[in-house]
Amino acid sequence: MYVRKNQRDLTRAERRKYVGAVLELKRRGTYDQFVKTHIDFYTADGDTGLRVAHMGPSFLPWHRRFLLDFESALREVDPSVTVPYWDWTKDNTPASSIWHDDFMGGNGRRGDLQVMTGPFAHVGGSWDITVSVTDGNFLTRDLGRPSQAIGLPTKAQLAWAESDPAYDSAPWNSTSSEGFRNKLEGWGSGSGTDRWRNHNRVHRWVSGLMLGGGSVNDPVFWLHHSFVDSVWSRWQHKHPKAVYLPDSTAPESDAFGSRAVGRDEPMAPWGDSPSSMWDHSAIYRYA
Amino acid sequence: MRFRGEPNVWARRAVLQSLSAVSVSAFTGAALVRIVNTPRTAPPRSEAADLPARTVVFDEMYRGRRVAGYTEQGQDQGASSTAVYIDGRRLHLMRCADGGYLSPIDHYQSYPTELATARAAVAELGSAQLALTPVHGGGTHEGGHDVRP
Repeated sequence: MYVRKNQRDLTRAERRKYVGAVLELKRRGTYDQFVKTHIDFYTADGDTGLRVAHMGPSFLPWHRRFLLDFESALREVDPSVTVPYWDWTKDNTPASSIWHDDFMGGNGRRGDLQVMTGPFAHVGGSWDITVSVTDGNFLTRDLGRPSQAIGLPTKAQLAWAESDPAYDSAPWNSTSSEGFRNKLEGWGSGSGTDRWRNHNRVHRWVSGLMLGGGSVNDPVFWLHHSFVDSVWSRWQHKHPKAVYLPDSTAPESDAFGSRAVGRDEPMAPWGDSPSSMWDHSAIYRYA
Repeated sequence: MRFRGEPNVWARRAVLQSLSAVSVSAFTGAALVRIVNTPRTAPPRSEAADLPARTVVFDEMYRGRRVAGYTEQGQDQGASSTAVYIDGRRLHLMRCADGGYLSPIDHYQSYPTELATARAAVAELGSAQLALTPVHGGGTHEGGHDVRP
């Protein structure tokens, strides 16, 4: 059993070791496999087929499994490393220490939004974007999107999600208006900034590559999803009788031919079910 | 998806795929928007001239980029849908349950129309270009995301 820490509590040495392990995975080519997996498994809920990773109830267990894979690759490089989490309700400005040069590096520059500082700046020579939806070879960010300003999710918005006692609700997709899963994943409606909640809103706040299919190219992806996973864990403690929904009976395809994953169904590419991801306490805990 | 380091292989493969698609379309009569509108993979002019006419859904300059959508014959049920391009490169849209669309450039918002999705992608792209080889989510597991009519 190991511990995932708040990134703001890491020592300077811990920050250095984490960054070093990520760079080593990049050097080995392993990192880009994770980028590819995330792109391959993004299926929207108006398309045909099973959607495992987004816009459905298995969003949380799929990313828990994805994070475990990444963490295990990191720990092969350095057994002392775990994936820290970024509590974006607290560290909620571009000035937060998460963006310092010894950790995630800073914002993108004006114009092409290229990140020029920190270990993941292309100019540093260690972070070449090779699997992407665009042809740029550098990491981009546009923290807070000054041209269409958006704030990170607030404690109140996160609490709104966490107070829902049901894991998910029909139709088990981006239009589910009730249930913890979509309130955390963050698909809203309308035309205001309320369209983006919690998880989705953070992708938009960081912007650049974090907004697209290649979001894993920004290493802050893992710290974001570590926090999302910790929120799920916290919700589980708060609602001990809650179970994954829909249950073991595989839900029928909806009008689009799109289908959500049932409780005991395998999630590609690993074959693990949502129920097998429900309890992480034997593997890690959050500090 | 783009794998840098082997651009020639991918470009060559794209050309080969396009050319084989041309011969298929000669039999099926299906529209081949992809080829007509993609300069780097365009077939010889004599073959292109044999293609059935495409229907332009929209074609405009937006923030200095050419945004175009053409009707395309679906692969499955023969249903038509819109193939969207930015500066001649395919923007592969995904359909959402709320009736809107996602693009690979902006995966966390559903836009009401294909044109709105394309314009938003242009705004996010800034000075970048789409990858030459289109991204395909859902390519290695059950389903995929064929665009519905």
